[in-house]
Amino acid sequence: MLVDAPYIPASVIEIEAQKAFETGKPGPAFGRQLATIALRGGALAVFIGVLVVFSVTAPFFLTVGNIGNVLGQSAIAGVLAIGLTIVIIAGGSNVVTGGIDLSLAANMGLSAAVYASLVQAGHGDGLAILGALGTGLAIGAVNAAAVTLAGIVPLLATLAVMNVVAGLELVLTQNTVVPASTDFLAALSAGGPFGIPVLAYILLGFTLVVAAIVQYTPLGLRLYAVGAFPDAARAAGLPVKSFVAGSFLASGLCGGLAGVLSVSYLSGSTTGAGDMLLPVVVTALLGTVFSRRLVPTITGTLLSALFVGFLINGFQLLNISSTLVSGVQGLLILLVVSATTLLGRKENA
Amino acid sequence: MTDDTFSGVNRRNLLKLTAVAGVVAGTGLLSARTAAAEEGLSLKGKRIGISTAGTDHFFDLQAYNAQVEEVKRLGGEPIAVDAGRNDGKLVSQLQTLIAQKPDAIVQLLGTLSVIDPWLKKAREADIPVFTIDVGSVNSINNSTSDNWGIGKDLALQLVSDIGGEGNIVVFNGFYGVTPCAIRYDQLVNVTKYFPKVQIVQPELRDVIPNTVQDAFTQITAILAKYPEKGSIKAIWSAWDIPQLGATQALTAAGRTEIRTYGVDGSPEVLQLVADPNSPAAADVAQQPAELGRVAIRNVARYLAGETLPRETYVPALLANKQNVGEVSKKLGIG
Repeated sequence: MLVDAPYIPASVIEIEAQKAFETGKPGPAFGRQLATIALRGGALAVFIGVLVVFSVTAPFFLTVGNIGNVLGQSAIAGVLAIGLTIVIIAGGSNVVTGGIDLSLAANMGLSAAVYASLVQAGHGDGLAILGALGTGLAIGAVNAAAVTLAGIVPLLATLAVMNVVAGLELVLTQNTVVPASTDFLAALSAGGPFGIPVLAYILLGFTLVVAAIVQYTPLGLRLYAVGAFPDAARAAGLPVKSFVAGSFLASGLCGGLAGVLSVSYLSGSTTGAGDMLLPVVVTALLGTVFSRRLVPTITGTLLSALFVGFLINGFQLLNISSTLVSGVQGLLILLVVSATTLLGRKENA
Repeated sequence: MTDDTFSGVNRRNLLKLTAVAGVVAGTGLLSARTAAAEEGLSLKGKRIGISTAGTDHFFDLQAYNAQVEEVKRLGGEPIAVDAGRNDGKLVSQLQTLIAQKPDAIVQLLGTLSVIDPWLKKAREADIPVFTIDVGSVNSINNSTSDNWGIGKDLALQLVSDIGGEGNIVVFNGFYGVTPCAIRYDQLVNVTKYFPKVQIVQPELRDVIPNTVQDAFTQITAILAKYPEKGSIKAIWSAWDIPQLGATQALTAAGRTEIRTYGVDGSPEVLQLVADPNSPAAADVAQQPAELGRVAIRNVARYLAGETLPRETYVPALLANKQNVGEVSKKLGIG
């Protein structure tokens, strides 16, 4: 991954530099500078470009209602991706050995099922919210224990937990839709001030709070240190394992919150929560290209979630055949990621 | 075509010159007029939102494509969105569709509790809502097969095939989907009067996706639990994709004495029904493409100011070992 740059041994960089010198390419420094500028602005430019194109070509795109809709539609995936981002920050962003939480989507499914089942059993929203958030937190605790106490690689630990959680959801719901409607849920899925859905405000507010904690407090700085330079962090006396465990608890809580949002959005708990996993992983990984130093950030993840959301929305507004949407979407993501990866490699070299 | 019928009726009228013929001609004229009005239907300049729960089954693919074609044929612009059997996507698409303010929205399938709040929002935004196979109070007209008839026909065929007694295994995973619920209730209604017919408990849950593999696995397990021949007489499912998996499991286990029953008329299942050695006994075929066309024509009628009935029924055809050839021909399948 891009942010692994600090791990690249100095010798490798020297060899690369040597090669460049020997082949006699003119001004690698100049190229690097250009690439850096392109890289820093590139992803954002693509995002803005897509928005401009849709604004000009797609009817209804540039309306408060539509933008609010996209924000609201991105809320569930956004909250999950932000949870995943916290884990990636604390665990390091090596896809194989670094921080990852594959149980997030299943977590959302089970938390939603718990919420809907409690409402069906005649309990109030208060208890149902506690139930959903508690379920999420408990799943986070299991992940934390598996990774920090048992020492299992997060990829495998959370994969196993994902299966257990998905199984529990099947047991609880018998793979059926559990409808739930309460005044609280109706208020969550309704429109808020300025015709913008309440879910949109929740996504923005949630991002703001988490971003403030992760990006502007000593706690957040330590979180980054633990993920990027675990040895240095340990040497400096930071409790690395506690931070990693904490990140899983936070992401578990995000799963619980997403479960609550999903119950309101879908008027109950439905099957197929697992389908969310890959889009959420893509969103969190794509998020790094929206940060200046190509590291996972909360705001970068929000932008990434909105980017995907706007793409889907714009395609529908342009009436591009639904059979083409996922293909074009995948192609665009591939383009953005490969462009920034290539540029990132140049910058690191 | 219409003119031919028209003149044909008149000619007959002239030839016979009887009061009875007069009545016949009268009705003939009437139907000819409706047909003419039908040809006069137009969606010119209209944008019609078409939303489907998915297109991964024969039924919904046929209905979806037929809707898109029919809107185009009538001169309108379809805005067609396919949720790929993902409820979150379905809701997002409906939400965006409402923001696009089309002249009408037609919803094909979907779990009622999930989509109904959004159909209500569409109605509140003054967008007429139509449905196919969704019994929603927020829809102006629901085009559907007569699911009571389907459920009854299938149940009666099953009960008569097994001689009015024996254990039947039932897939009941989608009671939340209205047509499935009606078909299931009809099975229960019929078996109530055949006390020797027992539904094996617990009932099985069919799933989406991996419906076929899952049904195969579940039936294989059931067969292991009931190893004696005759301990299970039939397997019933509210649609025919679980039936496909169940039939394959029976063939694989050599338990072809057990018969399978389902609904939808998927070509692969009709083929099995046509195979004299296959346990697939009956499949009630709906006419999905016709359902799609009827729904769109209803939209055109409504926008032209006509009043529509609450539901429009498109006939379904029960295919069993005896008549499967005719039914397939009628559906235009090999």
